[in-house]
Amino acid sequence: MEKFIFRIHRYDGTTKWVQEYQFPYEENKTVLWALTKIKDEIDPTLNFTSACRHAICGSCGVRINGTSYLGCKTPLDEIIETFDSKMLTFEPLKNYDVIRDLVIDWKPKMKKLKLVKPWLIPTEEGSVEKGFKQTEQEFSKIASPTDCILCGVCTSECGQLNVNDGVYLDPFILNKAYRFALDSRDGSSNEHIQPVLDNELWKCIHCMQCVTNCPKGIPLTDQIAYLRKTTMKMGAKDNQGARHAYAFYDDVKKVGRLNEMMLPIKTDGMVKTIGKRVPMAARMVYKGKINPLHMPKKVNGIEGIRKIYKYAQEVSK
Amino acid sequence: MRYGFFPGCTLESAAGELMISTKKVASALGIELIELDGWTCCGASHIQDVDEFLATSVNARNLALAEKLDAPLMTVCNTCTLMLRTTKKDLDEDPELKKKVNKGLRESGLEYKGTSEVTHLLWALIQDYGIENLKKLVKKPLTGLKVANFYGCHIVRPPQIMGFENHRNPRSMEMIAEALGAECVDFDQRLACCGFHAVFPAEKEVLKLTATNCISSKMAGADCMVTPCPLCQMQLDMYQPDAQKGYSADIEIPILHLPQLIGLALGYSPEELAINRHIVNAVPKLKESLGV
Ligand code: SF4
Ligand code: SF4
Ligand code: FES
Repeated sequence: MEKFIFRIHRYDGTTKWVQEYQFPYEENKTVLWALTKIKDEIDPTLNFTSACRHAICGSCGVRINGTSYLGCKTPLDEIIETFDSKMLTFEPLKNYDVIRDLVIDWKPKMKKLKLVKPWLIPTEEGSVEKGFKQTEQEFSKIASPTDCILCGVCTSECGQLNVNDGVYLDPFILNKAYRFALDSRDGSSNEHIQPVLDNELWKCIHCMQCVTNCPKGIPLTDQIAYLRKTTMKMGAKDNQGARHAYAFYDDVKKVGRLNEMMLPIKTDGMVKTIGKRVPMAARMVYKGKINPLHMPKKVNGIEGIRKIYKYAQEVSK
Repeated sequence: MRYGFFPGCTLESAAGELMISTKKVASALGIELIELDGWTCCGASHIQDVDEFLATSVNARNLALAEKLDAPLMTVCNTCTLMLRTTKKDLDEDPELKKKVNKGLRESGLEYKGTSEVTHLLWALIQDYGIENLKKLVKKPLTGLKVANFYGCHIVRPPQIMGFENHRNPRSMEMIAEALGAECVDFDQRLACCGFHAVFPAEKEVLKLTATNCISSKMAGADCMVTPCPLCQMQLDMYQPDAQKGYSADIEIPILHLPQLIGLALGYSPEELAINRHIVNAVPKLKESLGV
């Protein structure tokens, strides 16, 4: 008989251990089905959260073989195919405190979420009497971000949060800031965006884990680009992240390619670069890895590229 | 086999050794790489933060250059691949956007049509060249060399754009390394991020990541890490001495570019593949394991 072997990381508030459960394989079942079966038929002490079973409540996120999934939406057969095994390791979502077994603590995250004021700050035009009307087009801008079910899968997979002290905002929090900043009924988008800038917006490492794993397909990394662009429009250009982005933008306009030698100076300034990067540059020159005198020449067709820049500026107006 | 070759900025400066080894390997395999005339930076995941439409337009231009050659576009960089594929997908799925972008290209006599696919050397070797054909050319099997394959994010994620293989458990790097006779180790950070794109604003975190990536592969018993991305290579190699400063455990491990690993098996010496240029010296380990 084919069997599932689940190795579940357990925690009772003081002790941690890994417990193994075995039960017959069944086709076309979800991850949540299996956890429920264990609790109902094998071990009632196993703790996990779930409610709607329809990818709505967001409570059944769990990590399997190191990757985060929404339990009720994920077919076990898909996981077996991915890892080519019926032996699976279950852990609670990462980057959360664990309460028991697979149950995580959302309280600190909710406190952090409030930083971006995740509520409507109404415009002057709207009122209780007149209502807060929105056109279909206006609504379509927030349709996708409002799909977030606060499941925490993005947080669990976030490459920056894995190494961060806890200041960096979880991708779902960035999504909330974006959602209210773009809402036509909201009159104060800066109030949602400023806290994003103040809390390490530029530390996103572009690992693409959030956008890859979000069970609702929310384009989280596009939102980050939008948030960054907006902070620069608000005038916040004098920071490492903005200077770094502009270094690329300017170099392509000037010659078509990046000037790697100048990049640290443009991003960090001369003083910091001399203090910090000279030993690295020396290592590189010594190994023949870089030639400090190499300056990229203008690429063939640079005039065309500058025309594209001009055109893009007209378009964005 | 013939490709429009998109080297990307790093191959012209800090990853010159990847240019050298890519050209050696391509010529040994009989793959024709025609460098696109007038290619520009792909934006490296930064230009869209300033102007998304511009980022799309610049890459539409790069794609149009490959179309002029009537060849698929090939890169050896994960991020270049992702940037170019993102643009291609956006343009192919949105005729309005395509029209708007083409208006900007027309002034320089170019047009994006959508006829050239975007691929990476790693994929092309498997999909177009064939593992069996690669195996036939192995002169010096890498027997005894234990490699940790560090994929890098942008060769697998997001799958809607990359889609070559299962992003949660890809096998392409292992397929190649094994075809060359090397032994692959499994390690926790196999699909992790190198952090390169935020090494300036998030230096502390990214160096921690570098150390974690190195230690994880070392603990799994690897002699070296291998990556299909020059940005991962730079982060893991160039910044390794800085990452080491934060830890007492020895994190040192050499980092090879994928074409360098292939080149070794095709019989080139480490010097011919410019392996001696890396900050963490890979040559002693290679001598010890392979006797090269
Ligand atoms: S892309 Fe940025 S926000 Fe998304 S998971 Fe990676 S580091 Fe986190
Ligand atoms: S953004 Fe996606 S992954 Fe993150 S909490 Fe919301 S639904 Fe879940
Ligand atoms: S149980 Fe509600 S989202 Fe899975």
